[in-house]
Amino acid sequence: MFGYLLRRLGFGALTVVGVSIVVFVLMRILPGDPLVAIFGSEGFTKLSAAERAHYMAELGLSDPLWLQYVSWVKEIARGNFGRSFFRSESVAEMILRRGPLTAEIAFLSVALSWLVGIPVAIISALRPNSIADNFARFMSILFLAVPGFWLGMLIVLTLLFAFGYRAPLTGASLLTDPRTTLEMIIGPATVLGLGQAAYIARMARSSMLEVVREDYVRTARAKGLSNRLVIALHALPNALLPVITLSGILLGFVLAGSIPVERAFGTPGLGNAMFTAVSERDVFVMQNLVFLYAVVFVLLNLLVDIIIAWLDPRIRLR
Amino acid sequence: MTVTSPHLGTGAEPQARAVPVALPPPTSSWSRAGRALRTFVRRSPMSAFWALVALAVILMAIAAPAIAPYDPLKSNFRVMTKPPSIEHSFGTDQIGRDTLSRVVWGSRASLMVAFGAVLLGTTLGGLWGLASGFFGGRFDIASQRAIEFMQSFPDLVLAMAIAMALGAGTGTVIVAIAITRIPFGGRVIRAVVLSLKEMPFVEAARGLGASNTRLMFRHILPQCVAPFLILATTHLGVSIIIEASLGFLGVGIPPPTPTWGNMLADALNSGLVPPWWLVLFPGLAITITVLAFNLLGDGVRDLLDPRLRGAV
Repeated sequence: MFGYLLRRLGFGALTVVGVSIVVFVLMRILPGDPLVAIFGSEGFTKLSAAERAHYMAELGLSDPLWLQYVSWVKEIARGNFGRSFFRSESVAEMILRRGPLTAEIAFLSVALSWLVGIPVAIISALRPNSIADNFARFMSILFLAVPGFWLGMLIVLTLLFAFGYRAPLTGASLLTDPRTTLEMIIGPATVLGLGQAAYIARMARSSMLEVVREDYVRTARAKGLSNRLVIALHALPNALLPVITLSGILLGFVLAGSIPVERAFGTPGLGNAMFTAVSERDVFVMQNLVFLYAVVFVLLNLLVDIIIAWLDPRIRLR
Repeated sequence: MTVTSPHLGTGAEPQARAVPVALPPPTSSWSRAGRALRTFVRRSPMSAFWALVALAVILMAIAAPAIAPYDPLKSNFRVMTKPPSIEHSFGTDQIGRDTLSRVVWGSRASLMVAFGAVLLGTTLGGLWGLASGFFGGRFDIASQRAIEFMQSFPDLVLAMAIAMALGAGTGTVIVAIAITRIPFGGRVIRAVVLSLKEMPFVEAARGLGASNTRLMFRHILPQCVAPFLILATTHLGVSIIIEASLGFLGVGIPPPTPTWGNMLADALNSGLVPPWWLVLFPGLAITITVLAFNLLGDGVRDLLDPRLRGAV
């Protein structure tokens, strides 16, 4: 177990280094001069060559590439994520202010996906090919095809026209104002949760169907346990192992999926910040946010591996 | 929301894959195709129906200039932001362009990107998987790490970053999405090749003195066609959704070319409250198309290799 953990951690660290290089390279081959993004194309043409060189040096963009990379990594290690071209707030402050909202959306959506997906899967698996099962399968196929951001736009419009309701758009924290926060995150979380529930239900159904054929389930039935007990206490825990893995991976994808969904709802989370940075070509913000998304994604996958190793004795005792 | 990391279960024995090729007596390929089609319709009428829908969308994309009632780029300032009516059945946008025509033309961008990206990405990934599975050893280990590394980005974020880095355009969107598809092709085809490599017919060919190249392309590659087709069709839907998301976030195919994604972005940018017809129809087009291609993918999988049900 310890060796396994060490190997996973080592590979995770290596991946993060690789990710940082890829992100850096992508953000440096970005077409267009960053000064055009800052001053606008008209302002840019008015700058003299000396002024351009001065601004580039000030941004640290005239150093050789490897030096830029090293100083970027050093700054990140110090917790300094740089500044936006357009806003006074530093990227680190912005992440701290907006990050919690996105994290809350992500966790609430995972909770919702389990609440919806698991019962549906159990109903499906208990009576495969029944009407309920076919309906559940059709719904999950449907929700795999609905783009989350579009569903979000529809929900916003429907609430507005039917009830004249619009979710609050300005910041609140979970501790000081839980109600406002909930109103802000429930929409994106529902949309993202339904999308995940489709995957969860599919996976849980097939894993359940496999588990109920196992010998130990037959033994449990043979000793006279009721069907409910067999399902709840014997079959479900094992059937959930692959679902936990999937859910962890989905959590990473939800963070990315929340970029367009937050945009659709106008939720001021990290996803919306990413969208703003992309549309303003705000290079430093993008660079750090893309890196952050990738690192969180790597860490989540690592965490899932560890949890699974801890839950599954076949891996734990290896 | 693109999640499944398809890999063939080890239970998928490759002998079965060879059977459909070996069974039919030598008939013309047309009647063979007809028989396969009849089997397909009989076995899964649902898939057949959605395959027809997918076909209709493809035809719509090809015949867009003939079907669209108006020019999708021409604005008519007399009918700006009008709800659906008899002349404009899907309404018009802020500068008086016909939404129906734009949705019809949008299918072109969507399908071109999806087909291009899936073919490019799955082919590159497949060839990579073929090589790494066949040669094994250090090259295989390095490839496995590289693929794991590519999968350490959420695919939307990776596609966004690549699409931005390469600059806006149809080609770059195709490349950006294709790169996110490479790991899937690599993994699945590698798994298939690993099991094929040990088969007696490969050993026999090797014993007869076939070179590595001949073994790879003449003996193993043909057996990879079915998994390749399955993989490609199952990834079409996901690619369409990524394309729409990129368009929605403003890093896809740039306007004025209509795509379903950038139409939705336009609707949102039009003001605080987007008109409902500008939101409903492009999204409906995405949903129906993705649904059709996903179910077509399931059907193709069941037809070519029923044992992969749930695996890919």
